[in-house]
Amino acid sequence: MTDSSFAHLKNLPKARQLAGGTPMCAGCGGLQVLHQVLDILGENTVLINAAGCMTLLANYPYTPLRGSWLYTAMASAPAGAQGVRDALDILLERGLPKEQDLTVVVLSGDGAAGGIGLSAASAAIERGLDFIYLVYDNEGYGNTGQQQSASTPHGARTATCRDLRRWKKDLFAIWTAHLPTYAATLIGCEPLDLARKVEKAATMKGPRLLLALAPCPTGWDFDPAETTEIGRLAVRSGIWPLKEYADGRVTHTRAPHDRLPVEDYLSRQGRFRHLFEPQRDAVQLGEIQAAVDTYWNEIRDY
Amino acid sequence: MTRHLLSGNAAAAWGARLARADYVPAFPITPQTEIIETLAGWIESGAMPGRLTLLESEHSMLTAACAAAVTGVRVFTATSSQGLLYALEMIYAAPGLRAPFVLVNVSRGVQTPVTLEPDHTDVLAARDSGFLQLHCATCQEVLDSILIAYRLAEHPDIRLPVLVNLDGFYLSFTREPVLLPSVEQTARFLPPFAPEHLRFRADQPVAEGAAVLGSAAYSYFRYQSHLAALAALPAFEAICAEFDTVFGRSYSIVEAYRMEDADNVFLMIGSFATKAKVAVDRLRDAGRRVGLLRPRLTRPWPEAGLQRWLLGRRTVMVVDQNLSMGKGGVLATELASSLYGRPDAPRLLSFIGGLGGRDIGVEEFHEMAAIAQRSADTGATPPPRLLYTADELREVRKLQAIAHNAPRRAGEPS
Amino acid sequence: MFRIRFHGRGGQGMKTASRILGSAFFHAGYEVQDAPHYGAERRGAPVSAYVRADRRPIDERGIIRCPDLVVVADESLLAIAARSILAGIDRHSILLIVGHEAAMVWQERLNVPGTVLTLPTDAPRFSGVACAGAAARLVGALGHDAMTEAIGAELAGFGDKAVAEGLTLAEAAWQAMAPHAGCVSEADELPASRHAPPEWIDLPADPVDAATPAIHAGATSAALNTGLWRTLRPVIDHERCNRCWWICSEFCPDSAITVAADGTPQIDYEHCKGCLICVAQCPPHAIRAVPEQGVTP
Repeated sequence: MTDSSFAHLKNLPKARQLAGGTPMCAGCGGLQVLHQVLDILGENTVLINAAGCMTLLANYPYTPLRGSWLYTAMASAPAGAQGVRDALDILLERGLPKEQDLTVVVLSGDGAAGGIGLSAASAAIERGLDFIYLVYDNEGYGNTGQQQSASTPHGARTATCRDLRRWKKDLFAIWTAHLPTYAATLIGCEPLDLARKVEKAATMKGPRLLLALAPCPTGWDFDPAETTEIGRLAVRSGIWPLKEYADGRVTHTRAPHDRLPVEDYLSRQGRFRHLFEPQRDAVQLGEIQAAVDTYWNEIRDY
Repeated sequence: MTRHLLSGNAAAAWGARLARADYVPAFPITPQTEIIETLAGWIESGAMPGRLTLLESEHSMLTAACAAAVTGVRVFTATSSQGLLYALEMIYAAPGLRAPFVLVNVSRGVQTPVTLEPDHTDVLAARDSGFLQLHCATCQEVLDSILIAYRLAEHPDIRLPVLVNLDGFYLSFTREPVLLPSVEQTARFLPPFAPEHLRFRADQPVAEGAAVLGSAAYSYFRYQSHLAALAALPAFEAICAEFDTVFGRSYSIVEAYRMEDADNVFLMIGSFATKAKVAVDRLRDAGRRVGLLRPRLTRPWPEAGLQRWLLGRRTVMVVDQNLSMGKGGVLATELASSLYGRPDAPRLLSFIGGLGGRDIGVEEFHEMAAIAQRSADTGATPPPRLLYTADELREVRKLQAIAHNAPRRAGEPS
Repeated sequence: MFRIRFHGRGGQGMKTASRILGSAFFHAGYEVQDAPHYGAERRGAPVSAYVRADRRPIDERGIIRCPDLVVVADESLLAIAARSILAGIDRHSILLIVGHEAAMVWQERLNVPGTVLTLPTDAPRFSGVACAGAAARLVGALGHDAMTEAIGAELAGFGDKAVAEGLTLAEAAWQAMAPHAGCVSEADELPASRHAPPEWIDLPADPVDAATPAIHAGATSAALNTGLWRTLRPVIDHERCNRCWWICSEFCPDSAITVAADGTPQIDYEHCKGCLICVAQCPPHAIRAVPEQGVTP
């Protein structure tokens, strides 16, 4: 990360790409990340949206974007990206001025990314499609009321389960198994780390994943003011590892050396309240802590 | 039987529970989601035996539903709008397997543009699939229709999947008093599922859904599904007679409201039809001879029943909450084919409205009746009418001004 | 038929209000319909809910056009959604506004044909329950028992504490409305001849550019005042602000904090939804949350 123009927080962009007035919930962690990413990518982007919370972002006649938008469907946004990219390439070959070109960005929630849209994304990576895949991971189908998705973490309560017993699907690993150009995890509470990764991704060609944990006050049941703090606890407890994949290697970009207990993160959210009340569920909490410990014990790059 | 205030979605969940569905493949979509959340809660708490599996898409959900049904369990599932369209390949595949199950569709308009509110374009896209279709007008009817749907689906002469439709918002989120039958009472009406020929077992190998490469065999199997669907008309009447005996509520294939001596007749499906009843009452108060027909079944199409009610009337006003672009209302087209060539057929007037949840006001029903009366008197049939007011267009013009007239970016040609 | 509309913000319990009133009517032997109505809106945005109650089965559906009673859970909503709140109010309608301004002031300011009443309350969090209690008293056809039974039934899922709290709030509202008990009357059904015919038009086929839901402009959502969702307002103490010039602005999901060249942040109250992330994150605690005027005492 030595070549980044974001050496210091003071280098972060000041101009905002997203206008206010969106219908997203107050304190939305996904919107926080979207503005941070777009502030770096700029307005020469076209967002290809997969159905999810952000479906309502462009709500006729109102759009918060300064760039472009195409609504597709839940399953096939990467195919939409393919069509736009291919068409732009054809037009560029026929003389469309280069400055009219756009960065093609799929915008997807975790429900689409880890489930209904996984096949289309897999095929797009396989074809080497030149696109960025931005995922706001709020760990459930947020737009329909937070039912469990492939991304819901172990132990969480959702609208369809009291206490999920299986483990969160590792979308980062699924992507890197496809050997993409680039993949990174992000979070809105670490804007400098985010900026460096987005800047790096923007200079590359080919399939690039930007996977952002998006703390969700509505779905995770916490006060909207805590969105950033919850994110910080996700990083400091080691639950959300910040890392990137490039040239066939995974590197951790923010290694929490003195990891906080996962309880510090879990206990702040209503969706995990049953692990603490009426009595502390030591077994489950131990399982979650052990999974995080195992992950970091196997990491050798920091 | 006890009376409760239940939303259409809650009534649908109760229908599945009382029907003792064994298996619920599910995927969330507004405005259906409460149904699966309710069932998930009951199954997790043990209040309802059975298994709910969250699939990764509606296409997979319908595939799992078909597969479980051919393996021999009672299946319930639910979707809406784009979800139904995404599942459409399997919606068309299911009936030919002759595997009975029930799919609830909570009607919602389809994209583009995206909306959350109801119309019938989604459900009518499944019209030609081979699913039987039941359309509900009240929350009570949602619950009752699901029980009836299982009887229809599992009937030995039919063995087809059944789609039960309710309107998003107008029924899905609206609570009304619903008589909730007891488990014992329901069991008297709906026996346990008898899989009959449907089973995958180690000792009885079977190849389901085998391909056919001859047109004679293909046509044969397709015709068989059609004949089974037609058999649902007499079966529905027999099942509803039993339903009446057990529960004391009677359902006919076509609901007829104030049809005695009616000259001009509204024809609608779904919950907006109850709004038409209010209009019929007011018009009757004013001495107008109007009535209402509401087909509960649209597949099979109740041709003979509609002919019986309509031949000899002066006009029929079909109010379609759907739009087949380049043609018009689907129900109007369907009804025309049932009346064609009959010398005593009423004039058919077509109205399109209620798209994306757009209200149809009582004054609009009154206007339709006035137009119908004029048509009957003059002998001239007006062209189909897209319900749309000057006020609505003014509102859209304001939106268009915002969408098109905002300041351009610096440096762009104007 | 009784036709009652509730208007509030997402999160204020308007669906609960309609369900409590619906249940109360139901327990009193009425046929009932109750439903919330919401679209793309989220917590803080305007929502509505309605109740119909009649001695006969109800065939009417959907939005209530001519309400007998309109309850506004939060007087600040009248600045955002007056048009939909006041729609269909006529001389027989009652408009109940929860807030601190006097009924006389609203009656004059809104210039509505119906009667305006007000209900002061100090509990915006459960204002839906209070609205239901007040509405039950104004309707008159409902006994005290029907109201308390309905609250018990509808709030049971939230636990005993919520039921007890709800009963207290509803009781206070019930008592406060005593002078107006039973003032809501059922409107006469309009005969067919009294309905003005709809102003139907033949829709023209427009140029394709206009005929698609495409927005040929950027950042048009700036015209939407999502600042009205807010119940608490972040206020910067510029004496305390250390001009870090990035934290509050970077973390604001709604791009509602801009920073001047000298590092001075400024909040755009047209779009700040009041999430208060900035309040929680400001290192020198230079931003504090103050109640929006007229929302919370």
